[in-house]
Amino acid sequence: MVVPGEHVLEERGADSASSAVLRSQVACAVLGLVIEKPSHGYEIGQRFDRRFGGFLSVGRSSIYAALASLMEAGLIEKMSGRSTTGVSRGAKAGASYRATARGARAYRAWLAERVRNDPQRVEMLGRMTLAGVHSVEAALDFIGRYERECVREAQELSRPIDGAVAGCGGVSGVVERLLIEERRRMIDAQLGWITYARAELRAVRPSSPTDG
Amino acid sequence: MSLLSIEHVTKRYRRGRLERVAVRDVSLDVERGELVAVWGARFSGRSTLLRIAAGIEAPEEGIVSFEGRDLARSRNKVLGRRIGYCQTGFSAGSRGLVVEQVASGLLAQHASPKQARRRGQEMLFHVGIENCARLECHELDGAELARVAIASALVTAPALLVIDEPTSGVDLLQRDPLLALLRSIADEGTAVLMSTGDAQGLSGADRALSIDNGELQGEPEPAQAHVVPLRRAESGARRR
Repeated sequence: MVVPGEHVLEERGADSASSAVLRSQVACAVLGLVIEKPSHGYEIGQRFDRRFGGFLSVGRSSIYAALASLMEAGLIEKMSGRSTTGVSRGAKAGASYRATARGARAYRAWLAERVRNDPQRVEMLGRMTLAGVHSVEAALDFIGRYERECVREAQELSRPIDGAVAGCGGVSGVVERLLIEERRRMIDAQLGWITYARAELRAVRPSSPTDG
Repeated sequence: MSLLSIEHVTKRYRRGRLERVAVRDVSLDVERGELVAVWGARFSGRSTLLRIAAGIEAPEEGIVSFEGRDLARSRNKVLGRRIGYCQTGFSAGSRGLVVEQVASGLLAQHASPKQARRRGQEMLFHVGIENCARLECHELDGAELARVAIASALVTAPALLVIDEPTSGVDLLQRDPLLALLRSIADEGTAVLMSTGDAQGLSGADRALSIDNGELQGEPEPAQAHVVPLRRAESGARRR
């Protein structure tokens, strides 16, 4: 018997599990690689070294641990014992992994948050984005999430004459206002980039609506 | 019942054979005393959405209800009375004293000149420019003009103030105080629906939404534990 609201609880549980797994940068990088191309563990390890080796130095055991965590959280699933090239690597190669729909969504949400929060790691994240966002629709979805993060942050920034900031006088008050304004302008720049990125992506979308 | 309810509204503009969808299947509720800010780039549909919300333009598809009534049928009764609307840029308007400009909305409703003038003076005090009452509009700066426009819209004690880009043409240092005024208007019970083209306009809103290509984007779902909770629990843009 289906209990009303049960699916909601299940979904919330899954979100929290996804969240926990995606705290690991290795797990995120592995998820991005699996989204890019379903592969078995050995291939993922090789691709990990090529793509992220300069940023993250990890052993094979960490890759397999990440795969296990992603599986447990329902973000990836096993396919079969064959690699994506169709060539069997034997029992040693193990099963191939592919991303679930929930895994792809969780990855884009994670990326959108990190791109905003960690600009100093932008190159690393850029490579992850290339791996996990590989269609126009997925890129637009990612950009939409990124926009919502920016809008929410702007909403939550206190207005300089509101609340605690209002009590700050003199130079400290001015500095406080300037810091808020600096953040706002960064958000404006991010929102400007989002507008531009959407226009670029829509221009390359094959069935772009002709509404001018 | 929401104060303003926009349901599946679409608006198109045509020029010759070209057609542009300015607002596309948008649904949005605004509650009493709420400050809702809509961010959008130029040509995103933000101004069209606000004109539809105010009853200035009628949608081609969908329904707009204000205080439970179809706005298409009641617009002549509510626009300029229960709904106050301020436009982008706030032109200096007709010549004459500021207090007369503010009082003109009441005069149009056949209030006595004395009563309208007194109310106009009260509104100027309310928005913080009572010392401008005896000036002419062309003597005012951008921030003062914006406050005159807000006072003019509030003079009839509307339940909803729709304001398109309130900080446009306003000096940088005057923008936050102007936005704080809109916040206080909402806190006093008049709902405010505003558009903005920058992050500054979103600060402190009860709900911050974005519009792109005529499509209104809702608030992010609070799916992850570390996400900072939204100011209000209720949903923002509705998609059915």
